[in-house]
Amino acid sequence: MRPEPWRGLAWLAARECLRVSKLWTQTMLAPVIASILFILVFGLSLGSRISEVWGFEYEVFIVPGLIAMAMAQAAYSNNSSSIFQARSDRYIDDVLAAPMHPWQMNLGLTIGGAYRAVLIGIALGALAVPITGAPVEQPLALAAAVLLLVTLFGALGIVVGIYAETFDHHMFINNIVILPLTFVGGVFYSVEILPSPWEQLSHANPLFYVVSALRYGFLGESDVSVWLSFAVTAAIAAATVAWSQYLFATGRRLKP
Amino acid sequence: MQPALEVRGLGKRYDDGTVALRGLDLEVPAGEFFGLLGPNGAGKTTLINAICNLIRVTEGEISVFGNPAPSLEARRMVGLAEQDPNLDRFLSVREALLYHGGYYGLTRAASVDRAEEMIDVFDLRAKADVRAPKLSGGMRRRLLLARALLHEPRLVILDEPTAGVDIELRRELWRYIRLLHSRGTTIVLTTHYLEEAEALCEDIALIADGRIVARSTPEGLKEQFGVLTLEDVYLKAVHETSEAPA
Repeated sequence: MRPEPWRGLAWLAARECLRVSKLWTQTMLAPVIASILFILVFGLSLGSRISEVWGFEYEVFIVPGLIAMAMAQAAYSNNSSSIFQARSDRYIDDVLAAPMHPWQMNLGLTIGGAYRAVLIGIALGALAVPITGAPVEQPLALAAAVLLLVTLFGALGIVVGIYAETFDHHMFINNIVILPLTFVGGVFYSVEILPSPWEQLSHANPLFYVVSALRYGFLGESDVSVWLSFAVTAAIAAATVAWSQYLFATGRRLKP
Repeated sequence: MQPALEVRGLGKRYDDGTVALRGLDLEVPAGEFFGLLGPNGAGKTTLINAICNLIRVTEGEISVFGNPAPSLEARRMVGLAEQDPNLDRFLSVREALLYHGGYYGLTRAASVDRAEEMIDVFDLRAKADVRAPKLSGGMRRRLLLARALLHEPRLVILDEPTAGVDIELRRELWRYIRLLHSRGTTIVLTTHYLEEAEALCEDIALIADGRIVARSTPEGLKEQFGVLTLEDVYLKAVHETSEAPA
């Protein structure tokens, strides 16, 4: 039987998912526990002292943002660490030499981060929704927001994993860029409450639109139009995917 | 008959300015056991990496059984055992073989069958569920070779396959490589063990400073350089190249 190149994509994606499963305490358990602690501490413990936001209890309001933050970090850090390790140990050569198109390699490696992020999102939803009573008002919008989120952060992880020269580089982007931007992107508050110019500056933060899109999916409300959130997130995701595809197509940074 | 490997005017300049290959031409007929010898830094691994799409070549063309090296058809026909054991740290021996088969487009059933066959051929059964970082050096070498051969490539490239292994395993690997060659597989071997090249290869090329500087059978090379051993051929060829004006 003639070998089919699409099988390579399926096996590469399966390998990335297997890695997530084998390291489940690091890849799944730790981020789920951390996010649930946020909900318990900030939502249930301190939430009673904070007034409602848009008519929602505070612990309900923060659930979408915390899930978005956990999923974004998972998609990013999974892919950046996986590809960095593969480059560092050179076992990525087994993939680069294989009969696969560059887009298949790119997609296969990206799927690992998406798989991890979606599993974390499902686990957090399954725990947080019954605990806080958070609704899922717009499931289709939520699914679209999740797809854009995992695409954007999965591709970003691939790009950083390809450029990183040490393990610290990929941690740096997570700790210095993603985490702070998510925090100030409206995870814990509506940017409406910020004084000028901070409210306007928040609109320049791309993570703000990701959080807004997911919040709309859960609550049916967000700081800005959901279409604007989708458009901005999709534009950034498209640019990031184009960047990662360029790296695979040309071999830059992957091949000397 | 199409040559197994055809390299025309191959050049490689690394980003730091190092020139590893300078307009290299090479043709390896189908079914040949071909040896590539040369000092460290001569360009052997760069040439191999170029054939396997693991570097960005600066100039020139490579074809494998008539197909351009970057094509999917050519990639399917090449199996590579790299010099350094670059094994996936998250996969067991069995998984490493299984997933490699998948990357090369085999069905699950075909990949499982071939993985089990390779596990037996390379005596890896006792370690089949052990992850690569926990294997001994010899076991890693066996796994590298098993992985390179799993998808039944027509052109097998072995980059110093016996480096750092004991005599017993070396002889065992030789036996298997000879068997593979007797079944019609084209083999390109690089090695620093000249007795290994003499024992296995029908045709040997010496590479120095990014060019092929001599090529013939082991006996032909000795005659050409007027010496009695392959070691003398090697030393003379490399010495002459290093003295030649750039």
